[in-house]
Amino acid sequence: MKPKALIIPCSGIGKTLGSVARESAFRVTEDLRPETSRLMPLSPLVLGEEETREILASTPVVAIDGCTKSCAAKVAAERGGKVDQALQVSDAFKRHRGLKPEGVAELNKGGLQLAQALAEEVAELVDRMGGEVKNA
Amino acid sequence: MPELPVKKVGIISCSGEEMAEGTISRLATRRVLETLQPERTVTICLPLFLAGGEGERAFARHYPTIAIDGCEKRCAARGTEMYSGKPAGSIVVSDLYPRRNSELGSARRLSNQGHRLVKTTAAATSKLVDRLLGPRPLVGLKPAERPAVATKAVVTCSCGSGIPVKTLTIAGREIEVAALPVIYQSWRDSGRMPDQGVSPEMVQLVRVYNPIPENEEDAWKQAIALDYARFCSEAK
Ligand code: SF4
Ligand code: SF4
Repeated sequence: MKPKALIIPCSGIGKTLGSVARESAFRVTEDLRPETSRLMPLSPLVLGEEETREILASTPVVAIDGCTKSCAAKVAAERGGKVDQALQVSDAFKRHRGLKPEGVAELNKGGLQLAQALAEEVAELVDRMGGEVKNA
Repeated sequence: MPELPVKKVGIISCSGEEMAEGTISRLATRRVLETLQPERTVTICLPLFLAGGEGERAFARHYPTIAIDGCEKRCAARGTEMYSGKPAGSIVVSDLYPRRNSELGSARRLSNQGHRLVKTTAAATSKLVDRLLGPRPLVGLKPAERPAVATKAVVTCSCGSGIPVKTLTIAGREIEVAALPVIYQSWRDSGRMPDQGVSPEMVQLVRVYNPIPENEEDAWKQAIALDYARFCSEAK
């Protein structure tokens, strides 16, 4: 079944925020909305495989970035994706001040809880998406 | 050329969200960075690199890099080569453990075997770092016994390339100009006065670290001249 949304995390490796983005994406696509969302890895997308491009061109994207650099959103847009929602972990942290993420290889409890909170927000967004690229 | 912060190797990991080997490359990168070669490595965040962070790209042009990839698609190695320069070294996790199967766990949760492969991959990478930079002088010293690094890198992006940058407004846009703080210092040390303007040779040096569009060279010159004057007056 064609997913309603592609979830693209930045997976930034230098700081905690990228790991939270990655964990959120796993939680949406594997736990919360496995039927209606699909995780799209960023690196192969850049290096351009035909199949990846086709699905990217026809399915709305939810980019989950660690910070304001918005790498996933930028790369997805550059590669012809329609970024319907561009979220940042740094914003989510402002909404959930008590959940302080730490660790990169392994997130602490706060990081995992923040990932879950963000994943739940993303899941709701996915529910509202039609699965088709608008203005295509 | 100005002396940039301590000689380091950039470790570039693929993001590999779709298979255990991608997670292994990521965790191995962290292990090299945090445990095996903390003084001599930085990570260059691949997405930031691909999205066009100039500090990151400049770093990869000037320091040796090692790409760690999950599989034979070699996204990190190819991305680095495409946007900057050929990596000095390349590790592919699936080559280290060719029997691709579920023994390694999943991208989200590695098995014990997967965690063992993280260590193997990190050790192989650390060996490459030694080959590139020479043997480690600090082996065996506790963190407290290690000398402080010569120059503290100004980390500019959340993923931290370790190259100092400065943000200037050029042609109406905010641009991160890589290596500018050390370039200014080298100009000042060699007695270049800001009232002499920015010579073509000075622009050339900035260009080594930053792609300057042909049609914006004058705007770059103006912005740098102004900022360099400010730098010199603040340093007095
Ligand atoms: S968005 Fe921020 S955390 Fe994510 S890869 Fe880019 S710089 Fe790193
Ligand atoms: S190298 Fe392989 S595991 Fe890594 S991002 Fe590319 S396709 Fe995924």
